[in-house]
Amino acid sequence: MIGHITYLSDDSMEAKFGRELRATELGYSTQDIEFQIESYLRHQGEKFSEYFDANTYLLITRALDYFDPALPFGGDLSKAFAVARDKKFLLVSFTTDWRFSPARSRELVKALLDNRADVSYAEIDAPHGHDAFLLEDPRYHGVMSAYFDRIANEVGA
Amino acid sequence: MSDHKNLEVIAQMVPQGARVLDLGCGTGELLAYLRERRGCTGYGVELDDANLLGCAKRGVNVIQLNLEEGLALFKDRSFDVVLQLETLQHLRNAENMLRETARVGRMGIVSFPNFAHWPNRLSVVRGRMPVTKALPYEWYDTPNIRVGTYADFEVLAGKNGLDVIDSFGLQQGQVVRRWPNLMASVAVFKFQRR
Repeated sequence: MIGHITYLSDDSMEAKFGRELRATELGYSTQDIEFQIESYLRHQGEKFSEYFDANTYLLITRALDYFDPALPFGGDLSKAFAVARDKKFLLVSFTTDWRFSPARSRELVKALLDNRADVSYAEIDAPHGHDAFLLEDPRYHGVMSAYFDRIANEVGA
Repeated sequence: MSDHKNLEVIAQMVPQGARVLDLGCGTGELLAYLRERRGCTGYGVELDDANLLGCAKRGVNVIQLNLEEGLALFKDRSFDVVLQLETLQHLRNAENMLRETARVGRMGIVSFPNFAHWPNRLSVVRGRMPVTKALPYEWYDTPNIRVGTYADFEVLAGKNGLDVIDSFGLQQGQVVRRWPNLMASVAVFKFQRR
């Protein structure tokens, strides 16, 4: 459930649930599900526990923790990207995403710029948090499809 | 069209094969032109979503960034030329951006509307703020929050330790070298750090 919160944004949770209750008034309990947001998160948690094996999740989380591309290069991300200097990149981030925040994406952009790689970066001002990348945002989709069209042209597809 | 002529004049100031950063690049028209005609490479910086899409369609590298935040993404002297065309007048931190331009580029090229162009002076003498092709806004809705003159920029450049290598006016696509502060609606400066 905590993990699921990181996919959302403050605004999107406010818009969807706010302080809405399931019952008509407060129950002053510690065990019952009283708020709609609680019910929603509990439901998502149940779904997760059925879809995924808990140990697999622990392992994946660990793998994410260990992921540090700059480590073999003395903490220098620019050096880590030296192999990519003749490649082309498009990075997209969403302003309210605190899972993969724009600040992290800018670190990547900077490392690519330091290597003079071809890079474009769109920072989409969207209210939906990390989930925005799954939603239909015309700015996000516009930049993506323009970029894919260019690739298609280049490879003659 | 004079806009395109202006673009051609500016493009001729950029050396062949230069690595270019275009601050406030719009839809990437100039960068695409420089890439095709002068073999240049580089990036644009743009804030507006629609302009960003324009750049993506042209296949121009573009970084979405608010120039008010400065140019921390870019290293000292990492570009041969940094362009800042019709952009400086929109920025609150205009002076700092000018310094940043000179830091990031070996050479900077700036253009902006010249407030001292004679029709503007005439308008102010008559008691009204000018509304012209170069300054097409009313005083209450203009995005030009830093309106200066050709002569003002010379002073600002000096104050910030910039050597002006070349400067001229632009009037309807024509280069104006005689009394540019009076005769041109657009001022163009090419400079480098002392």
